[in-house]
Amino acid sequence: MVRFKNRYVLCEVVSEDPRCRQCIEDRAVGLAVRDAIGRVHGDFGLACCSISFTVKYLNAYTGTVLLRCRKDSYRLLCSALPFVRQLESRNQRYPCFLNTLHVGGTIRTCQKFLIEYNRRQLLMLLQSCTNEEERRCVQKSLLSCSLTEEQCLSGNEDDDDDGTDTD
Amino acid sequence: MALSEQAGAAASFERRVLRSAGEHHYLRVRLELPDGGARPNVAQFKQLVVSALKELHGEVGAALPVDVLTYEEKTLSAILRVVSSGLVKLWSALTLLGFYQNRRCAFRVLQTSPFLLALAGNSRELVLD
Repeated sequence: MVRFKNRYVLCEVVSEDPRCRQCIEDRAVGLAVRDAIGRVHGDFGLACCSISFTVKYLNAYTGTVLLRCRKDSYRLLCSALPFVRQLESRNQRYPCFLNTLHVGGTIRTCQKFLIEYNRRQLLMLLQSCTNEEERRCVQKSLLSCSLTEEQCLSGNEDDDDDGTDTD
Repeated sequence: MALSEQAGAAASFERRVLRSAGEHHYLRVRLELPDGGARPNVAQFKQLVVSALKELHGEVGAALPVDVLTYEEKTLSAILRVVSSGLVKLWSALTLLGFYQNRRCAFRVLQTSPFLLALAGNSRELVLD
């Protein structure tokens, strides 16, 4: 037996409207991505990507989304992601776009990348701090972020989907 | 080598070999429609092909460079030219097209070749004695 190979696409939802956060949920993101694939690649592309396509992990607070699809069709998925223009939930739609951060073969590599990425973001925040209070806050979260990584390194399981918050 | 040279000298034709893949592929297709219906003109025919591509392969498919080289409205047959990378997409889209103006229709792909000259004759239509 050979295992089915998947690709995990890590992206972030970017929106100018802060109210968009509340409509970041599994179903809305999945539907928006499916809609974009159907529009760009037609019935054939949609059918290819639909095999084992799911929203694996979603963090509405940071706007991070982890999508899964088969290895054969991840190019179709990635090329359709820029065509996602809005998220719709509870009869409200907000314009937004998806920014692809990383494409990985396992959830673990995506998680490692996300931790590294968030730490870099925190460093950038630290540089742009204006007052002492902010600086202390960011430094504190930087320290906690490295602690989180040590914990998850020590207690790592093979290819498990535990979403770890890094901030 | 010498043998082929001799043969080349003896025969009056010249043989040319194209080693790289051709840039385009050509398809001879026939549209089958039920009797007594409206027949598409050239523009509507092209529109039909593009709509078939768009249905199956989306906007990416509809953007494929496809040309209608000749179209005969009487026999509903046409010669299409498509870039080689899009041949499979075009062929599959034509095969899966089922309706023209809400009536049944079908595309028959009669011949396909990377060379336009190959469509000049069809060995399947030869009448052999």
